[in-house]
Parts: sequence; structure tokens; C-alpha cells
Amino acid sequence: MSKEYLTREISRRQLLKLGVGLVGVTAVSAVVPKALLKPYKVVEASPDVQPARQTAGAGTYRHYAATDGWVYLPGQNLPYHPDNLAPDGLTTYIFGFRNVTSIEDDHDKVFQQKMKAQLTSPMFWLDEWRDTASQGETDFTLRLTNLGLQMRPDLIDAHTLHFHGFRNAIPIFDGEPHSSVGVPISRDLTYFYRARDPGTYMFHCHFEETEHVHMGMVGGVFVRPKQNYLGFGGDPTSAARLGGNTAPGAPMGYAYNDGDGSTAYDREFAFVVSEVWTLAHWCDSHVQLPEWSDYNPDIYMMNGRAYPDTIAPNGGAIDSATGDLIPPAGRPELQYQPISSLVTCNSGDRVLLRFINLGYVEQSFRLTGIKMRVVGHDATLLRGRGPAGNDQNYFTDTVHVGAGQSVDAIFVAPEVDTMTRLLLFSRNFSHLSNPGIAGHGGPMTEVHIYPTSQPLGPQNEPNEWGL
Amino acid sequence: MRSSRLSRIVLLLSLLLLVVPRSNGIVTAGHEDMPPHGIVCTENPTATFTLTTQEGTISLPDGNRVYMWGFSEGGDPFQHPGPTLCVTEGDTVTIVLNNTLSHDVSIIFPGQEGVLADGVPSEPVFDVGGNLTSFAPVAAANGGAVTYSFVAAKPGTYLYESGTEPGIQVNMGLFGALVVRPAAHPNWAYNEIVASGAVTYTTEFAPDEEFVLIFSEIDPVLHMAVEQGLPYDMNNFTPRYWNINGRSFPDTIAPNGAEWLPEQPYGSLIHINPYDVDTHPYPALIRILSVGSESFPHHPHGNHSRIIARDGSVLIDTDQSDLSYERFTVNLGPGQTVDEMFAWTDVENWHPIDNPIPVVIPQLQNLTFGTFYSGSPYLGQTDLLPVGHQALNSCGEYYHIAHNHALQQITAWGVVLSGHITFTRIDPPLPNNCQ
Repeated sequence: MSKEYLTREISRRQLLKLGVGLVGVTAVSAVVPKALLKPYKVVEASPDVQPARQTAGAGTYRHYAATDGWVYLPGQNLPYHPDNLAPDGLTTYIFGFRNVTSIEDDHDKVFQQKMKAQLTSPMFWLDEWRDTASQGETDFTLRLTNLGLQMRPDLIDAHTLHFHGFRNAIPIFDGEPHSSVGVPISRDLTYFYRARDPGTYMFHCHFEETEHVHMGMVGGVFVRPKQNYLGFGGDPTSAARLGGNTAPGAPMGYAYNDGDGSTAYDREFAFVVSEVWTLAHWCDSHVQLPEWSDYNPDIYMMNGRAYPDTIAPNGGAIDSATGDLIPPAGRPELQYQPISSLVTCNSGDRVLLRFINLGYVEQSFRLTGIKMRVVGHDATLLRGRGPAGNDQNYFTDTVHVGAGQSVDAIFVAPEVDTMTRLLLFSRNFSHLSNPGIAGHGGPMTEVHIYPTSQPLGPQNEPNEWGL
Repeated sequence: MRSSRLSRIVLLLSLLLLVVPRSNGIVTAGHEDMPPHGIVCTENPTATFTLTTQEGTISLPDGNRVYMWGFSEGGDPFQHPGPTLCVTEGDTVTIVLNNTLSHDVSIIFPGQEGVLADGVPSEPVFDVGGNLTSFAPVAAANGGAVTYSFVAAKPGTYLYESGTEPGIQVNMGLFGALVVRPAAHPNWAYNEIVASGAVTYTTEFAPDEEFVLIFSEIDPVLHMAVEQGLPYDMNNFTPRYWNINGRSFPDTIAPNGAEWLPEQPYGSLIHINPYDVDTHPYPALIRILSVGSESFPHHPHGNHSRIIARDGSVLIDTDQSDLSYERFTVNLGPGQTVDEMFAWTDVENWHPIDNPIPVVIPQLQNLTFGTFYSGSPYLGQTDLLPVGHQALNSCGEYYHIAHNHALQQITAWGVVLSGHITFTRIDPPLPNNCQ
């Protein structure tokens, strides 16, 4: 297995060849002045890459930054987990994205987010394209800035954003770096999406994807159907709240342009499912390479957290002074894992669950107690082609979702007198533990059903509790 | 590591660009006559084939060569995987298995009914103690032969594979694809017509856009054990290589019959033209098969695929209504086959003058550029690339990766960006000056 290196960098394999293993790295960490590990002065992006800030309509523009960081995951698998290089309270080295839209006018503040990636990445959503100007602008642009990797100044990896599942994509906006372009450190690129097909998608970095995806550069994307605005059956009063309908009985939204209201929902929760192979993450922080054919993840997660952290509160708000994330209430160690998976609803609510698998193994998610109705797979309404397309949706208690797939399921919350809990978990019981510790863990969350006498507040964003 | 990979891709693509223009002709296996891309059928007017087991080695992208077994047609030298046998619905298919290996070998034909072995029903074989020794009658080691026959009753995409020590022998390479075409509609995948109100759909595909992708895996320790006559415990099975049509990326996108891959004749590049209602109305047909031990979630970029059949059965209800479906990832189970239709449409019709993309692409020094990028976001256009860039784009064609989304399987025992990866190449609308 001899290989030639026409290196553009000191490759990790070369370091291994030189016999610089853990000991060497530890030594390097000890002797290299900390300043050298800090971001060096970044080069200003040249003027031609600054996109016009989108002004028409909210939510049609996002600015993401790609970098590395540290997160907290439970359990112990020494010597890999917790990572001995992790800052106090954190355990695991990651790559990831951050949403820096609100601070993008302060260039320094954006670059101060280096080493502050989040797991999983901030989700984004956009409206299906509508072709009449009076219905507003729906073209969506996403500007990606590469902040570099603070722990790995030896790596000069580019990053990209691949909108996984986007139909009839053109390579320049697809993010696969061999068929298009990548974003080098301190540079940026603006991706453009005119979404014509509603549904649940996902995004991830596609540069050196086996490593970058596993390291955490994963997130969810939804395209919201124009039925939210137009209603169905030619009846504009059936439009959804997301489409501006303020009538009391209006649903929050529709998952698809179903034409009959069958994918209406009142609350919306998304779960980006992924895995951590603690050895591989340790390898990245210690300038090592894992052998990927030995892939053996030991922490399975929903939205970047393992149970019981999955039901901890949402974070994700930005401290305007520093640009950093504000931790969830009472959980400082979850500062960079801001997305809660707790499902909250009232009796009678139609609850849309968007399952997105960006791990490398298939998963089955079981909801105890009640059935889910699966209405979509891979951003596709479950319906046959043509004018008499037959209904292909189905009821199940266990949703199977393969690697790189998405599933949309809706359940109707039953009548309850007091707050009632259901469990939603990976039916692969071998995933439902955290390494080295007793009790339940992994990709599990809870569904909290409140009686109608305790109405929840409406959701402004997916996964909000409304408590 | 990436640099060495790119060098290799450069070599492959440079040679790829030199090969003759695409031809639509279906030929029997013979490297010199193969079309550069797409299905390579081995066919015979009497649907009679002689499959001879051979031993050989294949080349993998990390530089390793792995010892293999394979089926070859007649007296052909070793090849991997076995020849793609194409027959027509209703044919009586006869397959003579000549075994040169030092192990008994048989063939099973999942999806075929009424298979005969030497004229009697092909049934599992048990020894005098009642122990199962083979899933089907064998051609004995060191020169034995057996003749299988069956009527290819239903169109579809099927596997043929070893039924003797299959855990070992299929991993060793004793497998191939069997394609059964509708008798009345050779350019349809299936005979059925789906009805949806007044609209109907067939499975007609563009005749020069038919592809076979067989997904496999290799545990090199198993192969070493077989080569050295040592025992191997299947409980230790640990794949290190993941191949499509017997090749691992970037070899997957080399043309059929590439002379530098003499034992691995079948490429996997999905070479298509964009959908056009007048000039190119039919999609590509991609026949996907797995001989792996676990699910392979195959994710072609660029568009969804429409799954029209599973395991040789078209997805249609008894009332002729549609059961096909679209996916952006096809989770292919062990031993499964899936037929999918794939098309890409230039929906936005971006054009540098008439309809430019609404964002500014940064200057050359502010991006990294992929080997397959034309320098231009626009289909059919090329533009400046950095000096010294290894550009393999010939005419502004688009490329989209198509890969296994269990991303640990797009590696080759330490080499990343390998394994279960191929690419879709979308040419500018005809006429074009593409090579």
C-alpha cells in the first residue's frame, strides 16, 4: 500500500510515518505557544465575493461559517472519550457549521467564531418557489465562509455545503468539490437555491466527506410547500399559518402540496440523526487517521445530543456582544449543541416529525403508544404519479430510515387529562446506551402531550417547545 | 493523499477522452468492441452460455491486487464480475458451468422459477449425513460440469451467483448480472403500462442510456486465506474494499474494457443527456444489484431516481395503478436488485447572457476547483481555470457524484474518496462537441 504524496500540506499519514504519534502531538501541544494555535490574521475576502444582501422577505438569506469546535457527550471510552485535549466540561472534537447571519456585518466577530462550531448544524428552511411577484421572493441564498480549523492548523481543508436531494441541481451549487468548487480558508461562496420541490432534505459538507460528515458537518433543510400560501382545492382560506393565514383553525403548515390537506400539521420537529465514533474524533484532534473500514460508532445521537440530553432545552440564541452561542438554560456544557429533540404538543395536535439520517448506519425510530402516519420519503410525497396518483402513505410505529434518507411522519396527539409522556427512540437497542455508563442513552427522546387546558405557545421555529 | 488520487484520475480520464465515440451497439463481451459506457451485454441467439470458473487477480486503488475467482464466458480469461448475460423474455436459458477451481461450485438464479440442473429440478444438495452441502447441484472441483436451464419468464434485473459456500465464493467474485428484456419492447424495462386517470406511463428508456451497477465488497483476509488454502471464519468477515462492477473509484469511471484494467472490464460512469421533450424524452435505466452483506444506501447527486422495480418485479398494483416511487437515496438490501429511471432536466436554463445565475462566483484565487469542473457554472460552457489546474472537462458537461452514503464505505483500506463512488456525466444538449 505504498502511496506517493505530492503534498500541499503535511499529511496526517506522513506524520504517522515520521513516528509522531500521540506522544509527539501531546508534546507539540505542550511546547507550541498557544498563540500559534490561534487563528492567524485572516485575509479579507476580495470585494467581488460579497453578495448582495437579500432584502426581499425574511428567511431568504443565511450566512454560515464552517469551523471546528468542542461539544459535550456523555459516557467514557478511554483513552478516546472524553478527549484529553478537550476544554473543561467538553469531551469531543468536531467540525461543524454556525449561523452567523446576525453578526455578519462585524467581520471580526464572525471570525471569532472559529473553534465554536455547533453539533448538529443549524437547520434552515425555505419556501418553494412561487412564480408570481405578489407572493413574495422565494429565491434563497446561503453564503458559506470557511473559518479554518483551529485545532488542526496543518489541515488546509476547504469546505462546501451540499444540499442533499436538491432536484435537478447544477454542480456549482451542489457542493461536491470534484464536480464544482470548494471554499478555502478565509474565503466564501454564496450558494443559490430556487427550490421547486417541497419536503425534508439535509445538508452537509462534501469536502473529504467521510471525515467531514462524521466530524459533524450535518444539518437539516426543509422546503415548505406553496400550499402554505395558496391553500388547496382553490380555497385560499385553507392556507396555513406559515403562509400568513391567521384564522384560528389554520394548521401551522403542510408538509407537501398534497391537494387535500392530508399533510397538515400543527407542530414541527426535526431530528438529524448521526453517530460519533469516539476513536475517529480523537484521531482528528490528535493528528491521526482512523481506518474507516473499522467504523464502529459508540455514541448515537439525535440533533447532536444523546439521551437524556436530547430533552434538555433549546439553545441557539446569539450573544450580540461576542457573537457566541448562549447555552441552553442550566446546561452550559450544551452551549454548542443547541437543538432539543423534546417533542411538545397538545392533545389533538397534528405533529410532523422529520427524520433525517446523516449517520452511516440505518435506523428505525419507534414511537410508543400511538401510530405515526408516514407521508413522505426523501422529500417526496407518498403518492403515485399523475392525475389519479394513488395514496401510498402508511401507518407504523417504527420508521425505518437508511443512511442519507429522510422520512416525514405525522401523529395526532391523543386526548390526555394531565401531561403524558411517550418515548421516541431508535429500536436498535444496542444504540440506546452511552459508553461506559449504566442506564438509557443514545438516540432517544420524549413526547410530552399536554391537555388542551394547558395550551402551548405557537412555534416560531421547528423544535421550539412553546412552554 | 488527494494529490495522488487526482493524478490517477488524470491518467484515467486522459485515456477515457481518447477512446472512440459512444456506440449504441450491444456486443458480446470482448474488450475491443465494448461501448465506452453503459451496459455490456453477453448474448447469444440461443440464450446458451458457457461459464467457466477462473482464478485471477484484480487491481484496487490503493495499489493492492487481490486474488479472486470469477465466471468467464467460454474460454475467455478471468474477468470480474461475471459477464452480464442478456436474454429475452421467454427464452430458454442454458448455462453450462465448467469448473476449473479446486472447490465445488454451483450457480443459483434468484428470481427464476423452475431451474433445472442437468435436466432435473435444481434443488439443495445434502450429504449422506443429511448436512446441506450446496444450494444447488455442483460442478465438481477440478474439471466438473453441470448444465442449468430455465425459462426466463419475466423481464427484469437478476443476479446469478454461487450457491456453494456462498459466503466465501460470492465474496471471491462468483457472481454476475442477468438481464431479461421484454420480448415486444427491447427498450422497455418491463411490459407493464401504469395508468393514472387518462395518463399512462411505460418503462421505456433511452436505448444508449442503460447501465448496470453491481455493488460488492471484499475482505482481503478472506481472499488471502482462500489463496493459501487456509480456513476462514465468516464471523470475522470485515470488508475493506467496496466495488461497483468490480472496480473501486476512481477506476469505476474508466471506460468499459479499459486496457489498464484487463480483468475488470465494466465501468460505471452514468453518461446521459439532459431531458428534452422532443430530442431526449426518455430517462436512463440504471439496473442496481447488490451482492453485499449489508444495506448499501446509494445516493446519486443531481436528481431523484424513480424506482420502477425491485428484485425483477415491476412496481404496479393489480389495478394497474402506480407503485413506483422516487428517492434521493436507494437503500439496497443484500442480494436485492432495483431498477431505477434517472433523468436530469435543465430546469432553470441558466445562461451566461440571457439568464445568468443570480450570485457572483468568486475569482479564481478564492476557490478550490474540482477536476471535473468546466470553469463555468453553465451547461455547455467552459471558462478560465487556475493555471496548472488538472481539468478533465471536455465540453462544459456537468458531473454529479453518485455514491454510497454509508461514507465509511467510500474508502479503500486507508484510501479515502474511493470505494462505492461513480459519477453521472450530463452532456450539453445535442448537437455538441463533446468527446
